[in-house]
Amino acid sequence: MKPVNILVIDDESVICNACHFILSEKGYTVERQLTGKSGLDALKSGQYHIVLLDMMLPDMDGMDILKMIKGENPAVCIIVMTGYSTVSNAVKAMKLGAYDYLAKPFTDDELVSAVEKACLHVV
Amino acid sequence: MDSSDIFKNYFRVFRDIIRMMHTTNSLEEVLNLGVKKTSEALRAKGALVRLLNETTQQLEVRAAWGLDKRYLSKGPVSSDKLLKWGSDGRKIHIITDILNASQVAYRQQAWDQGIRMMLDIPLFINSKVVGLVRIYITELRHFSEDDLDFMITVAEQFACVIERLRLMENQKAQYNHLALRMEKMSSLGRMAAGIAHEINNPLAGILLYSSSLVKKAPPQSPLEEGLRIIMSETQRCKVIIQGLLEFSRDMEPQKVLANINDILDKALTILNNEFFIHHIRVEEDLENNLPQTLLDGNQIEQVLINILLNAAHAIEKDGIISVKTRMDAAKAKISIEIADNGCGINGQEMDKIFDPFFSTKPSGIGLGLAISYGIVRNHRGDIKVESHSGKGSCFTIDLPILPEASGKEGEQGVA
Repeated sequence: MKPVNILVIDDESVICNACHFILSEKGYTVERQLTGKSGLDALKSGQYHIVLLDMMLPDMDGMDILKMIKGENPAVCIIVMTGYSTVSNAVKAMKLGAYDYLAKPFTDDELVSAVEKACLHVV
Repeated sequence: MDSSDIFKNYFRVFRDIIRMMHTTNSLEEVLNLGVKKTSEALRAKGALVRLLNETTQQLEVRAAWGLDKRYLSKGPVSSDKLLKWGSDGRKIHIITDILNASQVAYRQQAWDQGIRMMLDIPLFINSKVVGLVRIYITELRHFSEDDLDFMITVAEQFACVIERLRLMENQKAQYNHLALRMEKMSSLGRMAAGIAHEINNPLAGILLYSSSLVKKAPPQSPLEEGLRIIMSETQRCKVIIQGLLEFSRDMEPQKVLANINDILDKALTILNNEFFIHHIRVEEDLENNLPQTLLDGNQIEQVLINILLNAAHAIEKDGIISVKTRMDAAKAKISIEIADNGCGINGQEMDKIFDPFFSTKPSGIGLGLAISYGIVRNHRGDIKVESHSGKGSCFTIDLPILPEASGKEGEQGVA
Protein backbone atom coordinates (compact mmCIF):
# COMPACT_ATOMS: atom_id res chain seq x y z
CA MET A 1 0.00 0.00 0.00
CA LYS A 2 1.29 3.43 -0.96
CA PRO A 3 1.74 5.80 1.97
CA VAL A 4 -1.26 8.11 2.31
CA ASN A 5 -0.60 11.73 3.27
CA ILE A 6 -3.30 13.52 5.21
CA LEU A 7 -3.55 17.23 6.02
CA VAL A 8 -5.76 18.35 8.90
CA ILE A 9 -6.85 22.01 8.81
CA ASP A 10 -8.62 23.05 12.03
CA ASP A 11 -8.07 26.04 14.29
CA GLU A 12 -8.66 23.79 17.32
CA SER A 13 -5.28 22.26 18.05
CA VAL A 14 -6.91 19.56 20.18
CA ILE A 15 -8.80 18.27 17.15
CA CYS A 16 -5.70 18.44 14.93
CA ASN A 17 -3.76 16.50 17.55
CA ALA A 18 -6.53 13.96 18.08
CA CYS A 19 -6.77 13.26 14.35
CA HIS A 20 -3.00 13.00 14.21
CA PHE A 21 -2.96 10.65 17.20
CA ILE A 22 -5.62 8.33 15.78
CA LEU A 23 -4.63 8.33 12.12
CA SER A 24 -0.86 8.00 12.72
CA GLU A 25 -1.54 4.79 14.58
CA LYS A 26 -3.31 3.48 11.50
CA GLY A 27 -0.17 4.14 9.46
CA TYR A 28 -1.11 7.41 7.80
CA THR A 29 1.21 10.37 7.57
CA VAL A 30 -0.62 13.29 9.16
CA GLU A 31 0.22 16.99 9.10
CA ARG A 32 -1.59 19.75 10.96
CA GLN A 33 -2.39 23.37 10.10
CA LEU A 34 -4.34 25.80 12.27
CA THR A 35 -5.47 28.41 9.73
CA GLY A 36 -6.97 28.43 6.27
CA LYS A 37 -4.05 30.34 4.82
CA SER A 38 -1.34 28.11 6.27
CA GLY A 39 -3.38 25.11 5.16
CA LEU A 40 -3.51 26.35 1.56
CA ASP A 41 0.24 27.11 1.66
CA ALA A 42 0.95 23.60 2.91
CA LEU A 43 -1.16 22.16 0.08
CA LYS A 44 0.92 24.07 -2.48
CA SER A 45 4.25 22.76 -1.21
CA GLY A 46 3.28 19.25 -0.11
CA GLN A 47 1.75 16.16 -1.64
CA TYR A 48 -1.53 15.31 0.09
CA HIS A 49 -4.11 12.72 -0.78
CA ILE A 50 -6.70 13.57 1.80
CA VAL A 51 -7.60 16.86 3.52
CA LEU A 52 -9.66 16.99 6.70
CA LEU A 53 -11.09 20.50 6.56
CA ASP A 54 -12.88 22.41 9.33
CA MET A 55 -15.59 24.63 7.87
CA MET A 56 -15.36 27.33 10.54
CA LEU A 57 -11.88 28.81 10.45
CA PRO A 58 -11.17 32.24 11.85
CA ASP A 59 -9.36 33.61 8.79
CA MET A 60 -11.28 32.16 5.85
CA ASP A 61 -14.64 30.72 4.96
CA GLY A 62 -14.59 26.92 4.71
CA MET A 63 -16.58 26.88 1.48
CA ASP A 64 -14.03 29.25 -0.12
CA ILE A 65 -11.12 27.04 0.92
CA LEU A 66 -12.98 24.03 -0.46
CA LYS A 67 -13.42 25.76 -3.84
CA MET A 68 -9.76 26.83 -3.95
CA ILE A 69 -8.41 23.38 -3.18
CA LYS A 70 -10.70 21.78 -5.74
CA GLY A 71 -9.70 24.41 -8.29
CA GLU A 72 -5.97 23.88 -7.87
CA ASN A 73 -5.86 20.20 -7.07
CA PRO A 74 -9.02 18.36 -8.11
CA ALA A 75 -7.54 14.95 -7.23
CA VAL A 76 -7.37 15.72 -3.51
CA CYS A 77 -10.09 14.06 -1.47
CA ILE A 78 -11.64 16.48 1.00
CA ILE A 79 -13.49 15.40 4.13
CA VAL A 80 -15.35 18.33 5.64
CA MET A 81 -15.70 18.67 9.43
CA THR A 82 -18.13 21.04 11.06
CA GLY A 83 -19.64 21.78 14.43
CA TYR A 84 -22.75 23.31 12.94
CA SER A 85 -24.12 20.45 10.94
CA THR A 86 -27.17 21.00 8.84
CA VAL A 87 -28.32 18.97 5.90
CA SER A 88 -28.18 21.96 3.63
CA ASN A 89 -24.59 22.65 4.71
CA ALA A 90 -23.62 19.10 3.92
CA VAL A 91 -25.33 19.19 0.54
CA LYS A 92 -23.59 22.45 -0.30
CA ALA A 93 -20.17 21.09 0.64
CA MET A 94 -20.77 17.93 -1.39
CA LYS A 95 -21.82 19.98 -4.39
CA LEU A 96 -18.56 21.92 -4.15
CA GLY A 97 -16.68 18.65 -4.42
CA ALA A 98 -16.23 17.45 -0.84
CA TYR A 99 -15.91 13.67 -0.67
CA ASP A 100 -17.41 13.13 2.77
CA TYR A 101 -18.77 14.91 5.78
CA LEU A 102 -18.12 14.51 9.51
CA ALA A 103 -20.36 16.26 12.02
CA LYS A 104 -18.55 17.20 15.23
CA PRO A 105 -18.33 15.51 17.63
CA PHE A 106 -17.42 12.21 15.95
CA THR A 107 -15.69 9.05 17.21
CA ASP A 108 -12.36 7.59 16.13
CA ASP A 109 -14.22 4.84 14.25
CA GLU A 110 -16.21 7.38 12.27
CA LEU A 111 -13.00 9.25 11.46
CA VAL A 112 -11.09 6.14 10.43
CA SER A 113 -13.94 4.78 8.36
CA ALA A 114 -14.32 8.09 6.48
CA VAL A 115 -10.56 8.15 5.78
CA GLU A 116 -10.52 4.49 4.68
CA LYS A 117 -13.35 5.11 2.24
CA ALA A 118 -11.52 8.15 0.89
CA CYS A 119 -8.36 6.03 0.45
CA LEU A 120 -10.16 3.65 -1.91
CA HIS A 121 -11.07 6.68 -3.90
CA VAL A 122 -7.61 8.28 -4.18
CA VAL A 123 -5.05 5.52 -4.09
CA MET B 1 -90.25 70.73 31.85
CA ASP B 2 -93.00 68.98 29.93
CA SER B 3 -92.59 65.41 28.81
CA SER B 4 -91.42 66.20 25.28
CA ASP B 5 -88.57 68.29 26.73
CA ILE B 6 -87.62 65.44 28.99
CA PHE B 7 -87.51 63.00 26.07
CA LYS B 8 -85.50 65.43 23.98
CA ASN B 9 -83.10 65.68 26.86
CA TYR B 10 -82.85 61.90 27.19
CA PHE B 11 -82.28 61.60 23.47
CA ARG B 12 -79.36 64.08 23.64
CA VAL B 13 -77.79 62.07 26.45
CA PHE B 14 -77.96 58.89 24.36
CA ARG B 15 -76.53 60.69 21.39
CA ASP B 16 -73.59 62.03 23.43
CA ILE B 17 -72.84 58.66 25.03
CA ILE B 18 -73.01 56.80 21.73
CA ARG B 19 -70.83 59.37 20.01
CA MET B 20 -68.28 59.05 22.81
CA MET B 21 -68.36 55.29 22.57
CA HIS B 22 -67.25 55.46 18.97
CA THR B 23 -64.55 58.09 19.36
CA THR B 24 -62.59 56.95 22.39
CA ASN B 25 -61.08 53.74 23.59
CA SER B 26 -60.84 54.89 27.18
CA LEU B 27 -63.40 53.21 29.38
CA GLU B 28 -63.01 55.87 32.07
CA GLU B 29 -63.71 58.70 29.62
CA VAL B 30 -66.91 57.12 28.30
CA LEU B 31 -68.19 56.22 31.75
CA ASN B 32 -67.34 59.61 33.23
CA LEU B 33 -69.17 61.41 30.47
CA GLY B 34 -72.03 58.95 30.82
CA VAL B 35 -72.57 59.49 34.54
CA LYS B 36 -72.33 63.25 34.13
CA LYS B 37 -74.92 63.37 31.34
CA THR B 38 -77.21 60.95 33.13
CA SER B 39 -77.04 62.92 36.38
CA GLU B 40 -77.83 66.11 34.54
CA ALA B 41 -80.74 64.59 32.66
CA LEU B 42 -82.22 63.22 35.90
CA ARG B 43 -81.41 66.38 37.86
CA ALA B 44 -79.50 64.19 40.30
CA LYS B 45 -76.72 65.30 42.65
CA GLY B 46 -74.36 62.81 41.11
CA ALA B 47 -73.77 59.27 39.97
CA LEU B 48 -71.08 56.65 39.95
CA VAL B 49 -70.20 53.39 38.26
CA ARG B 50 -68.83 50.51 40.26
CA LEU B 51 -67.39 47.53 38.42
CA LEU B 52 -66.57 44.12 39.77
CA ASN B 53 -62.87 43.34 40.03
CA GLU B 54 -62.76 39.63 39.21
CA THR B 55 -59.64 38.95 41.23
CA THR B 56 -60.52 40.76 44.44
CA GLN B 57 -64.30 40.26 44.13
CA GLN B 58 -64.70 43.86 45.17
CA LEU B 59 -66.71 46.61 43.53
CA GLU B 60 -64.44 49.44 42.49
CA VAL B 61 -65.44 52.95 41.50
CA ARG B 62 -64.56 53.40 37.83
CA ALA B 63 -66.37 56.67 37.12
CA ALA B 64 -68.12 59.32 39.18
CA TRP B 65 -69.66 62.73 38.86
CA GLY B 66 -71.03 65.31 41.27
CA LEU B 67 -70.00 63.47 44.44
CA ASP B 68 -67.79 64.73 47.22
CA LYS B 69 -64.17 63.53 47.05
CA ARG B 70 -64.32 62.42 50.68
CA TYR B 71 -67.26 60.19 49.90
CA LEU B 72 -65.52 58.67 46.88
CA SER B 73 -62.30 58.03 48.73
CA LYS B 74 -64.04 55.33 50.76
CA GLY B 75 -62.65 52.75 48.40
CA PRO B 76 -64.03 49.47 47.09
CA VAL B 77 -66.98 47.69 48.62
CA SER B 78 -67.84 44.02 48.79
CA SER B 79 -69.51 42.46 45.78
CA ASP B 80 -72.37 41.03 47.88
CA LYS B 81 -74.69 43.80 46.80
CA LEU B 82 -74.67 42.41 43.26
CA LEU B 83 -76.19 39.17 44.50
CA LYS B 84 -79.62 40.67 44.90
CA TRP B 85 -79.99 40.91 41.10
CA GLY B 86 -79.73 37.17 40.86
CA SER B 87 -83.37 36.59 41.75
CA ASP B 88 -85.34 39.57 40.51
CA GLY B 89 -83.97 40.14 37.01
CA ARG B 90 -82.69 43.44 35.79
CA LYS B 91 -84.89 45.67 37.90
CA ILE B 92 -83.73 49.04 39.18
CA HIS B 93 -83.49 49.16 42.96
CA ILE B 94 -84.82 52.32 44.50
CA ILE B 95 -83.50 53.14 47.96
CA THR B 96 -85.43 55.72 49.93
CA ASP B 97 -84.57 54.89 53.52
CA ILE B 98 -80.88 55.75 53.24
CA LEU B 99 -79.99 55.44 56.91
CA ASN B 100 -81.35 51.90 57.15
CA ALA B 101 -80.43 50.57 53.70
CA SER B 102 -78.24 47.49 53.97
CA GLN B 103 -76.98 47.84 50.42
CA VAL B 104 -75.46 51.27 51.19
CA ALA B 105 -71.99 50.93 52.67
CA TYR B 106 -71.54 54.48 53.97
CA ARG B 107 -75.03 55.51 55.07
CA GLN B 108 -74.25 58.35 57.45
CA GLN B 109 -71.77 59.93 55.03
CA ALA B 110 -74.34 59.80 52.24
CA TRP B 111 -76.99 61.36 54.48
CA ASP B 112 -74.54 64.11 55.48
CA GLN B 113 -73.99 64.87 51.82
CA GLY B 114 -77.69 65.62 51.53
CA ILE B 115 -78.60 62.45 49.72
CA ARG B 116 -82.13 61.22 50.35
CA MET B 117 -82.66 58.74 47.55
CA MET B 118 -80.54 56.32 45.51
CA LEU B 119 -81.18 54.33 42.36
CA ASP B 120 -79.14 51.21 41.65
CA ILE B 121 -79.08 50.05 38.04
CA PRO B 122 -77.30 46.76 37.32
CA LEU B 123 -74.79 46.34 34.47
CA PHE B 124 -75.19 43.04 32.67
CA ILE B 125 -72.74 41.39 30.27
CA ASN B 126 -73.84 38.02 28.88
CA SER B 127 -76.53 37.74 31.55
CA LYS B 128 -73.94 38.14 34.29
CA VAL B 129 -74.02 41.23 36.47
CA VAL B 130 -70.63 42.93 36.37
CA GLY B 131 -71.31 46.14 38.23
CA LEU B 132 -73.81 48.86 38.88
CA VAL B 133 -74.62 52.48 38.25
CA ARG B 134 -75.79 54.33 41.36
CA ILE B 135 -77.60 57.61 41.05
CA TYR B 136 -77.74 59.99 44.03
CA ILE B 137 -80.73 62.29 44.46
CA THR B 138 -81.22 64.94 47.08
CA GLU B 139 -84.98 64.70 47.50
CA LEU B 140 -87.56 61.94 47.49
CA ARG B 141 -89.12 61.91 44.07
CA HIS B 142 -91.31 59.74 41.87
CA PHE B 143 -89.75 58.21 38.76
CA SER B 144 -91.98 57.25 35.86
CA GLU B 145 -91.60 54.02 33.87
CA ASP B 146 -90.05 56.15 31.09
CA ASP B 147 -87.45 57.54 33.47
CA LEU B 148 -86.53 54.05 34.63
CA ASP B 149 -86.44 52.83 31.05
CA PHE B 150 -84.05 55.62 30.22
CA MET B 151 -81.74 54.57 33.05
CA ILE B 152 -81.83 50.93 32.03
CA THR B 153 -80.98 51.85 28.45
CA VAL B 154 -78.07 54.01 29.58
CA ALA B 155 -76.80 51.10 31.68
CA GLU B 156 -77.09 48.81 28.66
CA GLN B 157 -74.94 51.21 26.68
CA PHE B 158 -72.38 51.22 29.48
CA ALA B 159 -72.34 47.44 29.55
CA CYS B 160 -71.85 47.40 25.80
CA VAL B 161 -68.83 49.68 25.89
CA ILE B 162 -67.35 47.84 28.87
CA GLU B 163 -67.59 44.55 27.03
CA ARG B 164 -66.11 45.93 23.84
CA LEU B 165 -63.16 47.57 25.58
CA ARG B 166 -62.47 44.50 27.70
CA LEU B 167 -62.33 42.37 24.59
CA MET B 168 -59.90 44.84 23.06
CA GLU B 169 -57.73 44.88 26.16
CA ASN B 170 -57.72 41.10 26.23
CA GLN B 171 -56.64 40.88 22.64
CA LYS B 172 -53.94 43.46 23.22
CA ALA B 173 -52.63 41.61 26.26
CA GLN B 174 -52.64 38.36 24.34
CA TYR B 175 -50.78 39.94 21.45
CA ASN B 176 -48.16 41.49 23.75
CA HIS B 177 -47.69 38.15 25.48
CA LEU B 178 -47.20 36.50 22.12
CA ALA B 179 -44.77 39.13 20.86
CA LEU B 180 -42.74 38.83 24.05
CA ARG B 181 -42.63 35.07 23.77
CA MET B 182 -41.51 35.18 20.14
CA GLU B 183 -38.80 37.69 21.03
CA LYS B 184 -37.61 35.53 23.90
CA MET B 185 -37.57 32.44 21.70
CA SER B 186 -35.63 34.05 18.90
CA SER B 187 -32.95 35.56 21.15
CA LEU B 188 -32.60 32.25 22.99
CA GLY B 189 -32.42 30.50 19.64
CA ARG B 190 -29.57 32.70 18.48
CA MET B 191 -27.72 32.15 21.72
CA ALA B 192 -28.33 28.42 21.56
CA ALA B 193 -26.88 28.19 18.06
CA GLY B 194 -23.76 30.04 19.19
CA ILE B 195 -23.29 27.85 22.25
CA ALA B 196 -23.93 24.68 20.27
CA HIS B 197 -21.18 25.48 17.84
CA GLU B 198 -18.69 26.46 20.51
CA ILE B 199 -19.35 23.29 22.47
CA ASN B 200 -19.17 20.87 19.55
CA ASN B 201 -15.45 21.55 19.11
CA PRO B 202 -14.36 20.60 22.64
CA LEU B 203 -16.79 17.66 22.48
CA ALA B 204 -15.07 16.48 19.30
CA GLY B 205 -11.75 16.44 21.16
CA ILE B 206 -13.22 14.51 24.10
CA LEU B 207 -14.98 11.97 21.89
CA LEU B 208 -12.00 11.38 19.59
CA TYR B 209 -9.58 10.74 22.44
CA SER B 210 -11.94 8.72 24.61
CA SER B 211 -13.17 6.53 21.74
CA SER B 212 -9.57 5.89 20.71
CA LEU B 213 -8.25 5.24 24.22
CA VAL B 214 -11.09 2.89 25.16
CA LYS B 215 -9.65 0.39 22.69
CA LYS B 216 -6.28 0.55 24.40
CA ALA B 217 -7.60 0.10 27.93
CA PRO B 218 -7.48 -3.39 29.42
CA PRO B 219 -10.86 -5.07 28.79
CA GLN B 220 -13.29 -4.94 31.73
CA SER B 221 -10.96 -2.67 33.66
CA PRO B 222 -12.17 0.38 35.59
CA LEU B 223 -10.19 2.42 33.06
CA GLU B 224 -12.20 1.00 30.19
CA GLU B 225 -15.45 1.56 32.06
CA GLY B 226 -14.53 5.15 32.80
CA LEU B 227 -13.68 5.84 29.19
CA ARG B 228 -16.94 4.27 28.03
CA ILE B 229 -18.83 6.55 30.40
CA ILE B 230 -16.97 9.57 29.05
CA MET B 231 -17.91 8.47 25.53
CA SER B 232 -21.57 7.93 26.26
CA GLU B 233 -21.90 11.16 28.21
CA THR B 234 -20.30 13.02 25.32
CA GLN B 235 -22.77 11.41 22.94
CA ARG B 236 -25.51 12.57 25.28
CA CYS B 237 -24.25 16.15 25.02
CA LYS B 238 -24.28 15.74 21.27
CA VAL B 239 -27.97 14.80 21.33
CA ILE B 240 -28.82 17.78 23.53
CA ILE B 241 -26.98 20.11 21.20
CA GLN B 242 -28.68 18.64 18.16
CA GLY B 243 -31.98 19.45 19.84
CA LEU B 244 -30.75 22.98 20.43
CA LEU B 245 -29.74 23.45 16.83
CA GLU B 246 -33.04 22.04 15.70
CA PHE B 247 -34.78 24.61 17.87
CA SER B 248 -32.69 27.55 16.73
CA ARG B 249 -32.67 26.70 13.07
CA ASP B 250 -34.95 28.60 10.77
CA MET B 251 -37.69 26.05 10.60
CA GLU B 252 -39.11 27.21 7.31
CA PRO B 253 -41.92 24.73 6.65
CA GLN B 254 -41.79 22.79 3.39
CA LYS B 255 -45.49 22.88 2.72
CA VAL B 256 -47.39 20.39 0.60
CA LEU B 257 -51.10 19.56 0.53
CA ALA B 258 -51.91 17.04 3.23
CA ASN B 259 -54.74 15.75 5.36
CA ILE B 260 -54.23 16.35 9.06
CA ASN B 261 -56.10 13.15 9.97
CA ASP B 262 -53.47 11.14 8.06
CA ILE B 263 -50.64 12.86 9.89
CA LEU B 264 -52.35 12.29 13.22
CA ASP B 265 -52.83 8.59 12.37
CA LYS B 266 -49.15 8.29 11.52
CA ALA B 267 -48.11 9.91 14.78
CA LEU B 268 -50.46 7.59 16.72
CA THR B 269 -49.06 4.54 14.93
CA ILE B 270 -45.51 5.53 15.83
CA LEU B 271 -46.50 5.82 19.49
CA ASN B 272 -48.72 2.75 19.52
CA ASN B 273 -46.19 0.69 21.41
CA GLU B 274 -45.60 3.41 24.00
CA PHE B 275 -49.34 3.60 24.66
CA PHE B 276 -49.65 -0.18 24.83
CA ILE B 277 -46.85 -0.53 27.39
CA HIS B 278 -48.40 2.08 29.66
CA HIS B 279 -51.98 0.83 29.29
CA ILE B 280 -53.15 4.02 27.66
CA ARG B 281 -56.32 3.95 25.59
CA VAL B 282 -56.59 6.35 22.68
CA GLU B 283 -60.03 7.64 21.76
CA GLU B 284 -60.27 9.12 18.30
CA ASP B 285 -62.94 11.50 17.13
CA LEU B 286 -61.84 12.70 13.72
CA GLU B 287 -63.73 15.03 11.41
CA ASN B 288 -64.74 13.06 8.35
CA ASN B 289 -64.53 15.64 5.64
CA LEU B 290 -61.34 17.40 6.56
CA PRO B 291 -60.04 19.34 3.55
CA GLN B 292 -56.42 19.05 2.50
CA THR B 293 -54.29 21.99 3.53
CA LEU B 294 -50.77 23.19 2.89
CA LEU B 295 -48.43 22.19 5.67
CA ASP B 296 -45.11 20.56 6.43
CA GLY B 297 -46.17 17.00 7.27
CA ASN B 298 -42.91 16.10 9.04
CA GLN B 299 -42.98 19.17 11.24
CA ILE B 300 -46.64 18.81 12.19
CA GLU B 301 -46.06 15.13 12.91
CA GLN B 302 -43.21 16.15 15.21
CA VAL B 303 -45.54 18.55 17.03
CA LEU B 304 -48.22 15.88 17.45
CA ILE B 305 -45.70 13.31 18.66
CA ASN B 306 -44.31 15.81 21.19
CA ILE B 307 -47.74 16.58 22.59
CA LEU B 308 -48.90 12.94 22.55
CA LEU B 309 -45.72 11.86 24.34
CA ASN B 310 -46.21 14.57 26.94
CA ALA B 311 -49.78 13.32 27.41
CA ALA B 312 -48.51 9.76 27.86
CA HIS B 313 -45.92 10.92 30.38
CA ALA B 314 -48.56 12.91 32.26
CA ILE B 315 -50.66 9.76 32.55
CA GLU B 316 -47.77 7.44 33.44
CA LYS B 317 -50.02 4.34 33.58
CA ASP B 318 -53.67 3.54 32.86
CA GLY B 319 -55.39 6.47 31.28
CA ILE B 320 -57.11 7.90 28.26
CA ILE B 321 -55.82 10.19 25.57
CA SER B 322 -58.54 11.60 23.37
CA VAL B 323 -57.71 13.13 20.03
CA LYS B 324 -60.16 15.16 18.05
CA THR B 325 -60.02 17.04 14.77
CA ARG B 326 -62.50 19.68 13.77
CA MET B 327 -62.94 22.07 10.92
CA ASP B 328 -64.17 25.63 11.32
CA ALA B 329 -65.09 26.62 7.79
CA ALA B 330 -66.08 30.14 8.77
CA LYS B 331 -62.68 30.89 10.28
CA ALA B 332 -60.90 28.73 7.67
CA LYS B 333 -59.08 26.73 10.28
CA ILE B 334 -58.61 23.18 11.45
CA SER B 335 -58.33 22.35 15.16
CA ILE B 336 -56.55 19.36 16.58
CA GLU B 337 -57.34 18.64 20.20
CA ILE B 338 -55.23 16.29 22.31
CA ALA B 339 -56.55 15.74 25.82
CA ASP B 340 -55.33 13.45 28.57
CA ASN B 341 -56.50 12.58 32.05
CA GLY B 342 -52.98 12.71 33.49
CA CYS B 343 -51.39 14.78 36.22
CA GLY B 344 -52.10 18.17 34.65
CA ILE B 345 -50.01 21.31 34.75
CA ASN B 346 -50.02 23.57 37.79
CA GLY B 347 -50.46 27.31 37.53
CA GLN B 348 -46.81 28.22 38.03
CA GLU B 349 -45.64 25.81 35.37
CA MET B 350 -48.27 26.94 32.90
CA ASP B 351 -46.46 30.20 32.10
CA LYS B 352 -43.26 28.36 31.31
CA ILE B 353 -44.25 25.25 29.39
CA PHE B 354 -43.36 26.75 26.01
CA ASP B 355 -40.05 28.17 27.23
CA PRO B 356 -36.94 26.44 25.96
CA PHE B 357 -35.23 24.27 28.60
CA PHE B 358 -38.28 24.12 30.83
CA SER B 359 -39.05 20.52 31.68
CA THR B 360 -40.76 18.69 34.51
CA LYS B 361 -39.40 15.34 33.40
CA PRO B 362 -36.23 14.17 35.13
CA SER B 363 -34.49 13.40 31.84
CA GLY B 364 -36.19 16.02 29.68
CA ILE B 365 -34.24 18.63 27.78
CA GLY B 366 -37.24 20.95 27.70
CA LEU B 367 -37.31 21.69 24.00
CA GLY B 368 -40.30 19.65 22.81
CA LEU B 369 -43.00 22.25 23.34
CA ALA B 370 -40.68 25.15 22.48
CA ILE B 371 -39.96 23.55 19.11
CA SER B 372 -43.63 22.64 18.65
CA TYR B 373 -44.65 26.19 19.37
CA GLY B 374 -42.15 27.51 16.82
CA ILE B 375 -43.38 25.08 14.18
CA VAL B 376 -47.03 25.95 14.69
CA ARG B 377 -46.29 29.67 14.61
CA ASN B 378 -44.36 29.16 11.38
CA HIS B 379 -47.52 27.61 10.00
CA ARG B 380 -49.36 30.73 11.15
CA GLY B 381 -51.29 28.64 13.64
CA ASP B 382 -51.66 28.69 17.37
CA ILE B 383 -51.37 26.31 20.32
CA LYS B 384 -53.59 26.72 23.36
CA VAL B 385 -53.51 24.78 26.59
CA GLU B 386 -56.05 24.20 29.26
CA SER B 387 -55.10 22.21 32.28
CA HIS B 388 -56.24 21.33 35.74
CA SER B 389 -53.70 20.04 38.18
CA GLY B 390 -54.49 16.43 38.96
CA LYS B 391 -57.20 16.13 36.31
CA GLY B 392 -55.45 16.44 32.98
CA SER B 393 -54.51 18.76 30.15
CA CYS B 394 -55.92 19.63 26.78
CA PHE B 395 -53.75 21.01 23.98
CA THR B 396 -55.50 22.59 21.02
CA ILE B 397 -53.58 23.30 17.83
CA ASP B 398 -55.25 25.59 15.32
CA LEU B 399 -53.95 25.56 11.77
CA PRO B 400 -55.20 27.71 8.93
CA ILE B 401 -56.77 25.96 5.95
CA LEU B 402 -54.59 26.95 3.02
CA PRO B 403 -55.79 25.77 -0.36
CA GLU B 404 -52.94 25.38 -2.84
CA ALA B 405 -53.04 28.52 -4.96
CA SER B 406 -53.54 31.25 -2.39
CA GLY B 407 -51.36 29.52 0.19
CA LYS B 408 -48.22 29.54 -1.88
CA GLU B 409 -48.48 33.21 -2.71
CA GLY B 410 -49.06 33.99 0.91
CA GLU B 411 -45.76 32.42 1.78
CA GLN B 412 -43.68 35.17 0.24
CA GLY B 413 -42.04 37.53 2.63
CA VAL B 414 -43.93 36.40 5.67
CA ALA B 415 -41.21 34.23 7.21
